[in-house]
Amino acid sequence: MSMDAVLFWFLSIVVIGAGLSVVLMSNPIYSALSLVMTMVGVAALFATLNAYFLAGVQLIVYTGAVMVLFVMVLMLFDLKRELQAFSRGKITGFFKIAGVGVLAGLLVGVITFTTQKTSLIAEGSPLAADIAAQAASGADNTKILSENLFLKNILGFELLGVLLLVIAIGVVALSRSKGGTHARD
Amino acid sequence: MLETSMFSEIGLNHYLVLSALLFTIGMAGILLRRNLIVVLMSIELMLNAVNISFVAFSKYNMNSEGQVMVFFVMTIAAAEAAVGLAIIVSIFKRFKEVNIRFFEHLKG
Repeated sequence: MSMDAVLFWFLSIVVIGAGLSVVLMSNPIYSALSLVMTMVGVAALFATLNAYFLAGVQLIVYTGAVMVLFVMVLMLFDLKRELQAFSRGKITGFFKIAGVGVLAGLLVGVITFTTQKTSLIAEGSPLAADIAAQAASGADNTKILSENLFLKNILGFELLGVLLLVIAIGVVALSRSKGGTHARD
Repeated sequence: MLETSMFSEIGLNHYLVLSALLFTIGMAGILLRRNLIVVLMSIELMLNAVNISFVAFSKYNMNSEGQVMVFFVMTIAAAEAAVGLAIIVSIFKRFKEVNIRFFEHLKG
């Protein structure tokens, strides 16, 4: 078994286990810590897919910024007394779990039955040779990504900046208004 | 022969199946949990699952569009977490609890 395969199976076990514990832990602090573990695992998966820049961004944005935000809000609340972590109702709960199971089965079934080839590109084509050369270098990936981002998708990039500005102002306005969405006084 | 190659050769399908499983775990969290913060965390889980499949397609198709899309999704996810947490804080200020049933009273 190659190193790639060992790494993939280890990371997938980590990611699935941590993801399950996000959902199953009744204490939200443990859920947040499991989510950090999931994010780190996903970042490592990006690294196995040669997306090194995205792995770094994933670590900085998710495990750095977003999770700090989550944990800070969790600490703001007094969450020792969580009476009911899961939704009540055995029958609706059964239907929910059954629906999720059916969705998982459908997705996995469709994926495994439709795409039999491991790569969507034919073996002998010139593109395949390019891919082999690219996989050998690996570090070029960031350069290709930045060229695509700043040459082809520059409008989307700028619009994201505008969106982030709007979101920042909106969040400040939302948290400064007295009583938030339910102004009483 | 099939068994060994399935475990020792990692292809696009492996990443897609992992992504699908992570997505359904996130969906189960959204359906089953009552705590608003955990629901938001489950949404982040689903977004990450989609990111995995984007990057996997991007690698196996040798097309960097997928990675650009992951970049955008990450930005939107961070913004969504900020807005969601602000709404949760304002719900907590009003009801002193973060349960999803208070979303029924969000009007006006």
